[in-house]
Amino acid sequence: MPITGVYFIPSNPNAATALQIITERLRAAFPNEELTPIGRWGLEQKLLRDTQGLLPSSNSNKKPSNPRYMQFLSLTHYPTHGFIYTAEPEKPTAAPIQNPNQGAPGPVNAIAPDHSPSPPMVMTTIPPSSYGTLFQHFTYACQPFWSHRLTLAVPNGIVYEVGDFRVRLGDVRQTFPTARVRGTVVEIEWRGPSVVEAIPVDREDGSFDVGVDAGGETDMDVEAAGIDLASSAIEESDIDAEYAATASLIREFWGRLGVEAREAILIPNVGKEVKDRLRRWKKAGSGVATGADTKVDGTGSVVGERAEEDPDPWSGADVARQFMEVLRFNR
Amino acid sequence: MHEQSLFASVPVHQHHELLQQLAGLTAMQPRHCLERRLIFKAYRKPGMAGRTGASQDLQQGDLQRLNKMLNGNMYYTQVVGPVSESDFGSTAPVDQDTQMAGMDDSKPYGSSSSPSYDYERQPWKLEFRDIPEAGTRSAVTSRLMSSATLPRGDVVQAMNAWGYNFVTEYVVEGDMFIHNDIAIFLHRVLHYPGGDELSLPRRQLPALKDMTLFEKSGSYVLQAFIIVQDGSNQETMKTASQHLFGLREQLKSAVLLEQADRLSLDTRAK
Repeated sequence: MPITGVYFIPSNPNAATALQIITERLRAAFPNEELTPIGRWGLEQKLLRDTQGLLPSSNSNKKPSNPRYMQFLSLTHYPTHGFIYTAEPEKPTAAPIQNPNQGAPGPVNAIAPDHSPSPPMVMTTIPPSSYGTLFQHFTYACQPFWSHRLTLAVPNGIVYEVGDFRVRLGDVRQTFPTARVRGTVVEIEWRGPSVVEAIPVDREDGSFDVGVDAGGETDMDVEAAGIDLASSAIEESDIDAEYAATASLIREFWGRLGVEAREAILIPNVGKEVKDRLRRWKKAGSGVATGADTKVDGTGSVVGERAEEDPDPWSGADVARQFMEVLRFNR
Repeated sequence: MHEQSLFASVPVHQHHELLQQLAGLTAMQPRHCLERRLIFKAYRKPGMAGRTGASQDLQQGDLQRLNKMLNGNMYYTQVVGPVSESDFGSTAPVDQDTQMAGMDDSKPYGSSSSPSYDYERQPWKLEFRDIPEAGTRSAVTSRLMSSATLPRGDVVQAMNAWGYNFVTEYVVEGDMFIHNDIAIFLHRVLHYPGGDELSLPRRQLPALKDMTLFEKSGSYVLQAFIIVQDGSNQETMKTASQHLFGLREQLKSAVLLEQADRLSLDTRAK
């Protein structure tokens, strides 16, 4: 899971977007790089909001509560799953869940302390086949508490490779409730050596996660970059430091373009999945895969579907959070 | 998606015979299934009025639509996960740390002979069923359904955030047959021993023999169903119900397949 930053430049409905300007600035800022598109990318986001919060206030002396959002996001560069990011209820009605692997809800994240008043968020990833089904379920069976407010899409974004960075840019179109242009979104992905990439995904074969890449180009060889560490050599503080250092690289990159934009890099919970993975890796000792899945086969069940197995369900969670952060228009 | 079904009650003494009849009819061996089923209930915070929101761009029509949504139905829904017989009465997977500390010369990790049940690896599906459609368009139970794969492991945190509270859980055991486009599920409900006072899904399963029968006589339910992808297509819906009637005729001498009482399958949360 590479470290990324996302920028959004809003535009007026009938004006041209910043896409052209950014492309020109990219060319001007990196004259030694050949700026040719290496691929296409796309995105779709659906924003749901708690239905009650949409009602006008009938009792103005009541303290306004924060709106709750649920966001559905799919990215073509993470084709094995869609992302659902949901605000937790303010007062959990059930007993708090103590789950060592998923972490307590809304822990204070060392990378980006959560000072925002918004409630803690729960990230879920689900296979593409279930993504649309769940969205339909919420819009059909959960109307009293979820209301679909917006659908946004980047229909045909462009991918450039600029030095150690991969840049994805595209125009954001609103397709629901009314069609209009919203602005331009830019994702900057650090492709250089990174401690984060050295943490293996807990897969049966123990192979390294080098990112699910829609373009299919060869990825940076992590080991060749000189990072081959034992689990004991990496601490959570190293991950925080890595995110902070990479964030400044991304900011410096963006700074060279000189475009005003809304930024999302070190937002709350970024890096959570990487730390979880590190924790699991440390726990499993020297990277021995934890028990192969032996029980689904032979059980024979209506619900068992091996075909939907996702090799790394958490890949892309950080960049998904960043996109959701900049694309969450207050509706 | 729509599910069309017919149901029959099968007394326990007839179970073995019917299994054989179904195996003969469908030309397949029964596929034995065990499923954990978690029941979740949609909740809404009390005191819904008096909240500020994006009221500035709220039109009169919007307000009406919102009120309609707020008064819409809320539902119970199930989260279903396949389990195997060996998961029952087994222990949690041995933690590497404890194993290292406690028994140095034990077998390598992963080759332990005793089966283990790992709740963190349990696959789940969200299975939603609407209340069966009213009015007898045909004499089958027809209801809107959806089925979506959820992440493995603990689903409660995500379900809570989505607006559902865990209510209780039970287990279904049964055998599955496929006959052309009809799925035939002969099953019964098992309860956990010691009641269901837990507020969270179990991380360990008791021994299967300790599970208690929901229906004390031990009788089974036979459900024959067809899942129709496009429920708005009257033609395919009609074909599906005709296929079910065909099966009803074939099994007439053994069991009586019929439509279920609509209100007994009401999934709406009050």
